[in-house]
Amino acid sequence: MSATGIGAAVRRKEDQRFITGTGNYTSDITRPGEVRAYFVRSPHAHATIDKIDVSAAKRMPGVVDILTGADLAGDKIGGLICGWAITSKDGTPMKMGAHPAIAADKVRCVGDAVAVVLAETLLQARDAAEAVQVDYGVLPAVVDPAKATAKGAPQLHDVAPNNLIYDWHLGDKAATEAAFAAAKHVTKLDIINNRLVPNAMEPRAAIAEYDQGNDALTLWNTSQNPHVARLVISAFVGMAPEHKLRVIAPDVGGGFGSKIFIYPEEVVALWAARRVKRPVKWVSDRSEAFLTDAHGRDHVTHAELATDANHKITGLRVHTIANIGSYMSTFSSSVPTYLYATLLSGQYAIPAIYAEVDAVYTNTAPVDAYRGAGRPEATFVVERLVEVAARELGLDPAEFRRKNFVTSFPHQTPVIMTYDAGDYDASMTKAMEMIDYKNFGKRKAESEKNGKLRGIGFSTYIEACGIAPSQAVGSLGAGVGLWESAEVRVNPTGSVEILTGSHSHGQGHETTFAQLVSDRLGVPIDTVSIVHGDTDKVQFGMGTYGSRSGAVGMSAISKALDKIEDKAKKVAGYMMEAAADDIEFKDGKFTVKGTDKSVGWGDVTLNAYIAHKFTGGQLEPGLKEGAFYDPTNFTFPAGCHLAEVEIDPETGKITIANWVAVDDFGNIINPMIVEGQVHGGIAQGVGQAMLEGAHYNADGQLVTGSFMDYAMPRAADLPSFKVDTTVTPCPSNPLGIKGCGEAGAIASPAALINAITNAVGHENVPMPATPSVVWKAAQGGMKKAAE
Amino acid sequence: MPNVTVTVNGKSHTVDVAPETLLVELIREKLRLTGTHVGCDTSQCGACVVHVDGAAVKSCTMLAMSADGATVTTIEGLANGSTLHPMQEAFREHHGLQCGFCTPGMIMTAVDIVNRKGGNLDEHTIRDELEGNICRCTGYHNIVKAVGAGARAMAGGGKSAQAAE
Amino acid sequence: MALEMSGEYELPQAREVVWKALNDAEILKKCIPGCETLEKLSDSEFQATVKLSIGPVSARFKGRVKLEDIDAPNGYKIAGEGEGGVAGFAKGFANVALAEAGEGTKLTYKAEAATGGKIAQLGQRLIAGSAKKTADRFFENFVAALQDYK
Ligand code: FES
Ligand code: FES
Repeated sequence: MSATGIGAAVRRKEDQRFITGTGNYTSDITRPGEVRAYFVRSPHAHATIDKIDVSAAKRMPGVVDILTGADLAGDKIGGLICGWAITSKDGTPMKMGAHPAIAADKVRCVGDAVAVVLAETLLQARDAAEAVQVDYGVLPAVVDPAKATAKGAPQLHDVAPNNLIYDWHLGDKAATEAAFAAAKHVTKLDIINNRLVPNAMEPRAAIAEYDQGNDALTLWNTSQNPHVARLVISAFVGMAPEHKLRVIAPDVGGGFGSKIFIYPEEVVALWAARRVKRPVKWVSDRSEAFLTDAHGRDHVTHAELATDANHKITGLRVHTIANIGSYMSTFSSSVPTYLYATLLSGQYAIPAIYAEVDAVYTNTAPVDAYRGAGRPEATFVVERLVEVAARELGLDPAEFRRKNFVTSFPHQTPVIMTYDAGDYDASMTKAMEMIDYKNFGKRKAESEKNGKLRGIGFSTYIEACGIAPSQAVGSLGAGVGLWESAEVRVNPTGSVEILTGSHSHGQGHETTFAQLVSDRLGVPIDTVSIVHGDTDKVQFGMGTYGSRSGAVGMSAISKALDKIEDKAKKVAGYMMEAAADDIEFKDGKFTVKGTDKSVGWGDVTLNAYIAHKFTGGQLEPGLKEGAFYDPTNFTFPAGCHLAEVEIDPETGKITIANWVAVDDFGNIINPMIVEGQVHGGIAQGVGQAMLEGAHYNADGQLVTGSFMDYAMPRAADLPSFKVDTTVTPCPSNPLGIKGCGEAGAIASPAALINAITNAVGHENVPMPATPSVVWKAAQGGMKKAAE
Repeated sequence: MPNVTVTVNGKSHTVDVAPETLLVELIREKLRLTGTHVGCDTSQCGACVVHVDGAAVKSCTMLAMSADGATVTTIEGLANGSTLHPMQEAFREHHGLQCGFCTPGMIMTAVDIVNRKGGNLDEHTIRDELEGNICRCTGYHNIVKAVGAGARAMAGGGKSAQAAE
Repeated sequence: MALEMSGEYELPQAREVVWKALNDAEILKKCIPGCETLEKLSDSEFQATVKLSIGPVSARFKGRVKLEDIDAPNGYKIAGEGEGGVAGFAKGFANVALAEAGEGTKLTYKAEAATGGKIAQLGQRLIAGSAKKTADRFFENFVAALQDYK
């Protein structure tokens, strides 16, 4: 392993600009002549828009224009769409309501935009927004997904009677029912997977500029996938043809899924820029982010697990109501279906599974993918069921898991997925050693002596990443293919530019991608630059989410590097008058096999461009290759998280005493970065399990709408984590990578709730397990124990 | 419009500002020092932390006018020319950042912690002292490590001994 | 509506006097906390501007105050609803009942309040307290205003 190659903990190249304050985030950009945009938003969760009077506001100082939904419709700007078609049980397509970028007739959640003010300064825009008069006809609202389909519930979209978008299912119902009929034991759980606000620290932003001479638009925005944004804004919104629209996502301050989607504000910025013929800049404030960023999770689930007399799992069934919010966000439909139910087999050999999912509209912010997207919800269901089943059967949770682990590969689950490689026992065993599982009893006794409760919880999770084989997702309803592209441009002096369709917003691609190049070409990583996030530079790309940039994005680079190597060998062959087949390439040196004749990387790259050693008939000059890589399967990262907590029954305070994570991510490019991803994921999962919850009151007001009321994990809430890995290389891609971005968030909620329920002695601990929840649970547990 | 005179990163500026202008707006929009970030509107996140007369301040909570006559250091002024401040070095060395958005505030806060509490910080103290800074990416694990190491380097006159202030 | 409040006051004035005051726009204007203007549209409807601040959000709310379920001199329902622009909206009502108590009058009220938009989003933890304070202040002001009311 070289110091900068694959497997080395190389310090990040991108850090230089971030630690010196010279990064370039969207809100840092200003364009000459720009106007600032400020949105007038509905304070009502559900209302008709009866009248909008902008006349007084328009006369206010600095105001350039004020635009409404009627103007938008007048200019024939299309609405936003959801790009994954889901079919209901009865074969009918999902019921997607219109989603105009500015509401025209009706608002469906607090924060729905009703007008946009454009002014010389932000202050002036805000002042004028105060003067926009909107008459609303307030309608009753529904926020609880479990109540959305009830008779008499307020109706959000005419196309979706009873607010039902689809009722979908997966698996073999009859076989599952038979398994339950024959079961020796059935474990049942009711689960609410709490709604979360992603809260990337950089709020969303958009700057749009119109070039009148070329009739072309440029958009700088906080996107995880600028090409997809351009495609949607072009093909569906109808803003401008793709070749007249450039989308640039510069440094992006975290995404976690929430910046995948195409949002109203960027559409409005583009449209407004063309109307007023000046650049338009919009920067979300945190309050807007809480209301308008797509939220995550929000499932209401009933789940059951069947076991036989030998403690083998024989069946699993779930019914889930998924809250989609007021509009269908870009990939919202896929999250509670193909990203959720397909993972319900967990790490276990389960012969029969049946899942039913109802997706419903409510008067709340749209819900879409958030770190893990569907897979945390599935893992929570499976890992809670398995842990509770073990407790009910009087078995050690590790033993029960071992008995049911999938041990031979490939393994076909009853819910679509074919697991390709893994060793689940290896990671669990390692985790148990690291946390000193066998002495947990001693530690528990010690805690009890001090009047504290102690618990330990497992989560042996699996996820499907490396999203995803295009043909497979196409057959499941996806509107796009999920391959990735790469282009390798080698300069005459030997430096290398990698153009990738992946997008880095914290993942460190500038370093890991360069490590791959350094490893393959034997060049120092400082001579490699990574270009991403600009549709004018990178031809096309599908972006970064679903832990796909290593497995899919780097595989595309690897494929392009193969081509570079082939071509460079040809050049070297002409230089040394040998056949390309006789050239060996190693450590940046081209050698004629069996001789000591060699040329260096820089000589070859120069010769590729000066083209003096070969004719145009023999070889094309230059050294530039591209590749599209379409994966052949999902990848299946898996592992074991163990959480150990101590609870003060008097206050409900939870102290995380130990956290161990042993993950199998396949081959690893940069262990330092992988560990960082795991840490961050755990923090978000712990946030979900014990701190965070987006709560709407019955009127549809978001009452946890700021960092004062929405508890973000802070440094003192978390411990240091013990993180390690086991490795089974992924057989489905050339680099053997499985992906690591989401694992922590997927695994950790179940581990923590399993630990807390273990400590308090009963299963009734909802998320988030705040001190007041835990206090009540601890008191209840002690009462139960006393009886 | 009233004008304020501030010395930012060693350079004096006199600027006209509307009375309601916040210090962070002055820094980002008037002086175009965009390393200082805005992550919230309720003074909870710490992305905007700068040093005013040597002490950490959330620049979104301070009016520009109240900084009249003050000396301000932002993240851009922390390094000594091309020599990074030891706390900056420590964040890179220990992978204390991912997306980098919270980082300027984290680093400015961390330097302030060391200025107040010295170079020998235990994990508990560091976690407590980071109370006002939110990071969504790192889970804090590596930030805590970085702050501890940066503190030691500052105290021990590590690679770059002098803080630029 | 999420917030419910109630209270009770013993007043020395006769019920008719109290009832008259409850229907007097000048008195109402003096008593509604933060009320800047109150114009009579009809006997039972007023146009009002009220300045309210809850937590970090403060705004001028423009809206209507209506008297409903009028049952002279036993009581009525006083309901208000105002839009505060970007700050959101606030609305609420109080059922006010007057009963004779010796020489004087016993006033009881049951009130509910709700807010929406930014004021609900940011002021959440303070809303319950502010609403209760607003209701209390109204009736305290009313008790005070009655002292020299004929
Ligand atoms: S921007 Fe200043 S604390 Fe969040
Ligand atoms: S590094 Fe992204 S918020 Fe801290």
